[in-house]
Amino acid sequence: MRTLKFIVKRLVYSVFVLVGLSILIFVIARVMPGHPARMALGARAPEWAVERLREEMHLNEPLYVQYYYWAKGALHGDFGMSLVTRRSVANDIKEFLPASLELALYAGIFMGIIGITLGTISGWYSNTWIDNLVRVISYIGIVTPSFVFAIFFVLIFSYALEIFPTMGRIAPDLIPPPRITGMITLDALITGNFAIFLDALKHLFLPAISLAMGPLAQEARITRSSINDNLKKDYIAAERSCGIPERTIMFKYLLKPSLIPTISIYGLDFASLLGNAFLIELIFNWPGLSRYGMNAMLRKDLNAMTAIILVFGLVFVIVNIIVDIIVEYLDPRIRLGVERGQ
Amino acid sequence: MSKRVKILLISLCIIGILVSLGFAEAAERPLRTTWAWPTYIDPAVGSDFSSSVALVNLYDTLFYPDIKGDPQPHAAESWEVSADGLVCTVHLRQGIKFHDGTELTAEDVKFSMDRLTTIGEGYAYLFAGKVITETPDRYTVVFHLKEPFGPFPITLFRLYIVNKNLVMTNVKKPGPYGDMGDYGKQYLLTHDAGSGPYMLKEFSLEEHLLMVKNPNYWQSIDSYAPDEFKMIGTTEPVTVRTLISRRELEITDQWQSLEALAALDKIEGVDIAGYFPGTEFYYMMHTKKPPTDDIHFRKAMAWAIDYKTVVEKLFPGSIQSRGPVPQTLPGADPRVFQYHRDLDKAILELKQSKYYAQLDKYPVTVHWCAEVPDEEKVALLFMSNMADIGIDVKVVKVPWMSMIEEMATMETSPNIVTIFDSAHYPEAGSLIESRYMSESAATWEQNEWLLDTELDAMIKDSIKTIDRKERFAKYVKIQRYITDLCPTFFLFDQVEKHAYQATYVDWPAARGEVIPVMGYNFAGRFIKVYPDKRAELLK
Repeated sequence: MRTLKFIVKRLVYSVFVLVGLSILIFVIARVMPGHPARMALGARAPEWAVERLREEMHLNEPLYVQYYYWAKGALHGDFGMSLVTRRSVANDIKEFLPASLELALYAGIFMGIIGITLGTISGWYSNTWIDNLVRVISYIGIVTPSFVFAIFFVLIFSYALEIFPTMGRIAPDLIPPPRITGMITLDALITGNFAIFLDALKHLFLPAISLAMGPLAQEARITRSSINDNLKKDYIAAERSCGIPERTIMFKYLLKPSLIPTISIYGLDFASLLGNAFLIELIFNWPGLSRYGMNAMLRKDLNAMTAIILVFGLVFVIVNIIVDIIVEYLDPRIRLGVERGQ
Repeated sequence: MSKRVKILLISLCIIGILVSLGFAEAAERPLRTTWAWPTYIDPAVGSDFSSSVALVNLYDTLFYPDIKGDPQPHAAESWEVSADGLVCTVHLRQGIKFHDGTELTAEDVKFSMDRLTTIGEGYAYLFAGKVITETPDRYTVVFHLKEPFGPFPITLFRLYIVNKNLVMTNVKKPGPYGDMGDYGKQYLLTHDAGSGPYMLKEFSLEEHLLMVKNPNYWQSIDSYAPDEFKMIGTTEPVTVRTLISRRELEITDQWQSLEALAALDKIEGVDIAGYFPGTEFYYMMHTKKPPTDDIHFRKAMAWAIDYKTVVEKLFPGSIQSRGPVPQTLPGADPRVFQYHRDLDKAILELKQSKYYAQLDKYPVTVHWCAEVPDEEKVALLFMSNMADIGIDVKVVKVPWMSMIEEMATMETSPNIVTIFDSAHYPEAGSLIESRYMSESAATWEQNEWLLDTELDAMIKDSIKTIDRKERFAKYVKIQRYITDLCPTFFLFDQVEKHAYQATYVDWPAARGEVIPVMGYNFAGRFIKVYPDKRAELLK
């Protein structure tokens, strides 16, 4: 009940955050230089056509009136027309978001499994060659942008070894599964199409691992540092003095509290994956929302820009709430704090 | 056989069956190309390169350009233009079928023209407010022009004929076009309504467009023509290089850097095709603003530019322009005066300029387009060249949209603006009109602010001339007149380069059979793909 109250409270706050975000983005998008209608129709389009589009988009109205029209539509799920794709932004989001979510999901899996495993090993074998190796790998992961990994992986695994496909979500000679969620791997599993599932996984591997490299290095470092801190705590010394096997100490008493900071950062990193995937989506010709959003910004596609940033904001909010719930579950001190009304 | 082995075998069989499911028939002769995205396949919306390629393959036009840019009958069987040049009557070929099997008629042509000019996007600027269409019978279309316009038939290369019935059954109401609702814009965004040699199979908006050969096309298509034509929305060099090396891409986009092209050229079986699509790079000088208002000052600068370095080092493969019209464009004057770097002549001209004694007070401002980074190299070379004769140049990087805004008034236009420009239709008159008529001042196509009534009259007269030979003779006079005024530096005719699989793709444009109309060099039915040669390369 108290957790539910906590979630409701967070959701109410989130509404204010999203409204504030929408106003901010709406204003920034409109004060940027350049005429969106002219950009959409091209330099040679007749002036009357440009003017008609301006009127259709209410661009001749004051900013607050424009926001009113936009907010009215947005409340009904209508974010207006995209100037780039020439169709409703809501449709575009519906089409491109699942591709990005699928990519982020698999990147998130890599991030969690590899990052936490590396961090745990590194922390457990602190100050050994294993730790040093993992730390070096982590540093490389943190300082190298994801697109460099993407290019590197394409050159090795697609160009030289020809193990993985270079682009797209599925092989051209495969018929995509019926669209249920929009995530091909999931749809393939739901419809029982194993061949497509495997092929989609193959297509996902390089973009997902490229995208995950930076954040997984981050998770590894945080996990390592947290394990190191906890290893010095009295309760671990007490457990050791009681003769509890190291394995049990590790998995039963050390890992759970050590993962709390990792989970907090993991949530933020996961939400960031969506927005940061632009170059990855570009390199792998991945039809995702991040690439769509970047194109919208470059072409001053006002409606698309505002809607996409709002979607990314919403994902951040949702992920943060989920992370808070998980952390609350993992850490009794937080749970007790909520119960005491702190 | 043990129970475990049996289970294993059964499992393998199930996996085998599952794996075999879901495969589509692979194309025997795919043609895969990369492009800058997005691509619009609505004939009333698309006009950029990739859109033009898609439209040329999905739709038919009344006329089809040959390699000279002349109109050849296509969906039109014959045509005649009235003596006053105001009426163009086109007789349609009978029996042309749209992809849905219905016959292409005059009503469809009229609908396509009305739709294009009402929507006002894409190639509408060629026709909007200039033409009224009538259909006296099922196979005759009459275009009534408001003014005589000699090149009218060749502008019809851009009138893609849409299936009226199909579009009308998919119109969404209400929409911005009154009774016509959305005029089928939503439908044509992802569907084709054409009769062209290829049909749309799949369009993933942010990813690719896939067309398949039209088995019922009214003209014969070579059996070696690609059975699938895929346009992929990426220009990312690493992706392109990987695809080319794996023989999963036949022709690359034109946006690969010199370094990327050099790397592609090293791959076995891959060649670089270069041709001149009719695009020229200009330095447009403000002829009403000091110091570029002085003709001697302009000529001095024209003599000081190092054209050789520009075409050999900065834009290799391109050629120095000769006058205001690219040399490959029909109607270009091959003998118009051409400047070269000669500092003595530059100084002589400069001495005749009224600004000679006070050069330090009159710096020349050059605005180059921020979206085209290579322009900076030319601007810096220009600055260095002008320093050789004592002219101070200020180089400014300006976003394209800001450039358009500043060129909107004479006061805000800078001394020089850089621009790549090409003809709207394949004839010299197109560029001359859009670049130098007084009407184009205050638009992005003219920073010269010539406002020359004599030149206006000459241009108007030339494009009204129906006889082609006579019209071209007038174009020559105009080109010489403009060159004498020296309002522009005609720097180079741009070369368009594509890497392609020379071993197994026979591409007419790579052989030098270049059609001077954007998009037509990628008409799939004229390109041949040899899968056996590809298979040999893959061994």
